[in-house]
Amino acid sequence: MILRTPPPKKARSEAGGSSTPTGDQLVIYEDSPLPAPLQTASHDHSDQHLCTYQCRQMVKSDVLDALSKAEKQAQGYQTMLQILNQNFTQADEERKQFRDKFLYSEQELAAAKGREKVLQEQLLMEMNNSQERYTKALQSCHDLEVKLQSEMNLRTKAESSVATAEEKAKLLEEKLSQLSGSVERERNRLNNDIAHLGKEAKLSVSRIGADLERMQCRAQSAETESDLLRSQLEDLKHKFDECLHEKTEVYKKLSSFTSEAASPSDNNVLFKTLLEELKRCEAEVREARKLKSQQLDAELLKVKLLEEKSLRERAESELSKLPELQISFDKLENELCSWKSLLNNIPGVSCPDDAVMKFSALQKEVLDSTMKIGEASTRFNQLEAALDATQLGKQNAETEAALAKEKFEALKSDVKRIEAMLALVTEEKEQLKAVVSERRKSNSDGPVSATTDGTLAESFESSLAKKENYLKELEKELSQLKDVNSRQRDEIEHLNDKLVSEARRMKSLERDSDRLRSEISLLESKLGHGDFSAANTRVLRMVNTLGVENEAKQTIEALQAELQKTKERLQAVEELKSQSGDAGKLVDSHITGKIAQLKEQIATLEKREERYKTVFADRISVFRRACCELFGYKIVMDEHQRPNGIPVTRFTLQSIYAQSDGEKLEFDYESGNTSILDNQYTSQGEIAKQIEIFIRKFNSIPAFTANLTMESFNRRTLY
Amino acid sequence: MASKTAAAKDIITLHGSAAIVSEFFCYAANSILYNRAVYPEESFAKVKKYGLPMLLTQDESVKSFLSNLACQISEWLEAGKLQRVVLVIMSKATGEVLERWNFRIETDAEVVEKGVSREKSDKEIMREIQAIMRQVASSITYLPCLDEPCVFDVLAYTDTDVAVPFTWVESDPKLIANPQMVKLHAFDTKIHKVDTLVSYKNDEWDEEE
Repeated sequence: MILRTPPPKKARSEAGGSSTPTGDQLVIYEDSPLPAPLQTASHDHSDQHLCTYQCRQMVKSDVLDALSKAEKQAQGYQTMLQILNQNFTQADEERKQFRDKFLYSEQELAAAKGREKVLQEQLLMEMNNSQERYTKALQSCHDLEVKLQSEMNLRTKAESSVATAEEKAKLLEEKLSQLSGSVERERNRLNNDIAHLGKEAKLSVSRIGADLERMQCRAQSAETESDLLRSQLEDLKHKFDECLHEKTEVYKKLSSFTSEAASPSDNNVLFKTLLEELKRCEAEVREARKLKSQQLDAELLKVKLLEEKSLRERAESELSKLPELQISFDKLENELCSWKSLLNNIPGVSCPDDAVMKFSALQKEVLDSTMKIGEASTRFNQLEAALDATQLGKQNAETEAALAKEKFEALKSDVKRIEAMLALVTEEKEQLKAVVSERRKSNSDGPVSATTDGTLAESFESSLAKKENYLKELEKELSQLKDVNSRQRDEIEHLNDKLVSEARRMKSLERDSDRLRSEISLLESKLGHGDFSAANTRVLRMVNTLGVENEAKQTIEALQAELQKTKERLQAVEELKSQSGDAGKLVDSHITGKIAQLKEQIATLEKREERYKTVFADRISVFRRACCELFGYKIVMDEHQRPNGIPVTRFTLQSIYAQSDGEKLEFDYESGNTSILDNQYTSQGEIAKQIEIFIRKFNSIPAFTANLTMESFNRRTLY
Repeated sequence: MASKTAAAKDIITLHGSAAIVSEFFCYAANSILYNRAVYPEESFAKVKKYGLPMLLTQDESVKSFLSNLACQISEWLEAGKLQRVVLVIMSKATGEVLERWNFRIETDAEVVEKGVSREKSDKEIMREIQAIMRQVASSITYLPCLDEPCVFDVLAYTDTDVAVPFTWVESDPKLIANPQMVKLHAFDTKIHKVDTLVSYKNDEWDEEE
């Protein structure tokens, strides 16, 4: 190590005024009693050194050597001093450099501190913003969760209502099936009734036809009579004219006779004959008038016949329409029954008015449910929008978190860099301290410039102390920043966890939204398919289609032709009426009177028929009871039809001594032939044997029945 | 009819919008009958409409049918009671429904109730209708061929409180089982919005594939 400070100077000795160099010291005393030894060690210092001339020369050489050495040493010291000065200047320069560096580092520190403050402020703002956004996102998520729950509840309610509606629909379907079965039974019964009514109608039609034929015959006979009467009338007219002519002649004759004064008796006879002729003529006139009236009646009967014919045609046409009417009647009845049964099945409905109210209430409910569905769809859309917004917020929060992370890492790197710089600065400070201390040591004996160096060093030290304090403060701030960063890291991790959970929720919401979208697409496809709600919509089509228009025209033309025909008939009837004049009024009254008479006859005949029926029913029941008591068998008579369509009368006999309801005998009666039918009872062993013997072999049913009666009587009474 | 030129948009009233829609339906029905060969080509005559050459039937019975239909549709549209118009193409022999041209109508209830008018450019409406007509004409590329003689009918989906005219009766919706559906463009007069969709019976060849 190069000594920068020269060693301290020793104190001068009292014996001599000259300063002697240390080390190889030579003390020269002039005329001193004792010369000093030349190369004695420094410890041979004695005040008394004596030397001779040789010694003086030796001493001189020694001194010269010492001088040269000292000079050399001095030169060496000078060089060392120069070197030290150079070193000092270098050290000063280095000090200045370090001072500059220190100032620079201070500036950098200040800038870093400022940047750190700014970054902290930015971080704080960003953290606040992210916190605010996070709280908003949390609130929105919470709201969405609440909405989702409410939607799920609504959905569960809707599903439950759908399930109950399906159950109700199933129940209704079952009831419908039951109703359809009952309806079919009723329909069969109604068909039977209709067949019966049809038969009766046919009978009545045949009766009417027979009446019509009778009327026709009568009309024909009336026509022939009228022709005959007409001819008679003409004869009578002719005779009447002749009589009148004779009468005038007679009156002439009478007048001539009165003038001629004939005999009274002859006149009386003539008068009597004439009177008789008059009476006869009057009678003939009366007969002619009667014939005329009969002719008028015949003509009226003809008109009536025509009317009856038209009525018959109308009846036939209406009969032809009867099956269609019956079918429509059946349909209406079925609909009525179904509606009535539906009304009975609907709870809270006792009459059709209640049904209307119920239907209106149901329609309102359907409307409300459709409105709710619409609202749910709007809410769903809103939820979708909120989902999208939360997704965007989530993405933004993720990006912000990434940015915050990056900034945090940048800050960390800055902090590390600053720490490294601090470490370097502290090292340099220590180095400077050591240099300063060495400098102080070397300059304690030196020239006056050392004091200035000391003051500089003191100032430097004071500044260093300040910087140390500042550095400590910075370290404290760094530790605080570290704490803050660790807290922020924790918060970021917490935010990340929440983000992950939110992402999961988002995925579940996306799945729900996909499912709802598929349902919406299904509903849209159904709408496109053409499905509709019968409560809100009605499907109509034009009747006046192209295929029907022509038929309608034809029917219209046919109806117009019929109208014209009926108009012509009406005109003909009116003309006939006008021609008959007073007789027409009489005819009308006559016709109405006849119609009333015919109606009364019909009523009496119907009453008679009913009376006959009741009487017959009474008599037949008496007869049946008598047969049962006399022969011991309850007889039931039915009409059956074989598969080939031939009607057959079936008699079912049950003995009064029968022990069970299954003991029945069945016989078929057809055109005088009676045959026994096989059944469970007749297929039994004993009965079959009896049948074989009495019926097959002896061809005697009464013997079989009598034998069976005896056996069952014996069984009943004896066993 | 309905438009008064005012700045860039035309004023459209309920009556005018109903007339536009009923006229559109008439031309669309003619186009469908021509393109699907329900009636022979020679029974159609060319006219210019919507900036396109349109084909109109010259058969008097079909003409009168469509004109009566258009009148009734216009009346229902003005009352705001019409929900849908469906043109159904059926097999003449079996009566099976082969195609359903579905025109769904959404009516602005405020216009019907209060009688207010809306603004929209007539050109814009014509452009939208033109697009639909082009799509109807190009539908022959994907619709199955109708090899057998066919007939058509028109169904109207109305509100339940509509008074049914004596020339109309209630009908079944004449649906197709498992149809294929193609959605076409829509047009909007700001009072009536008409969506078009065609559903058709799956072709046997397509089913085999």
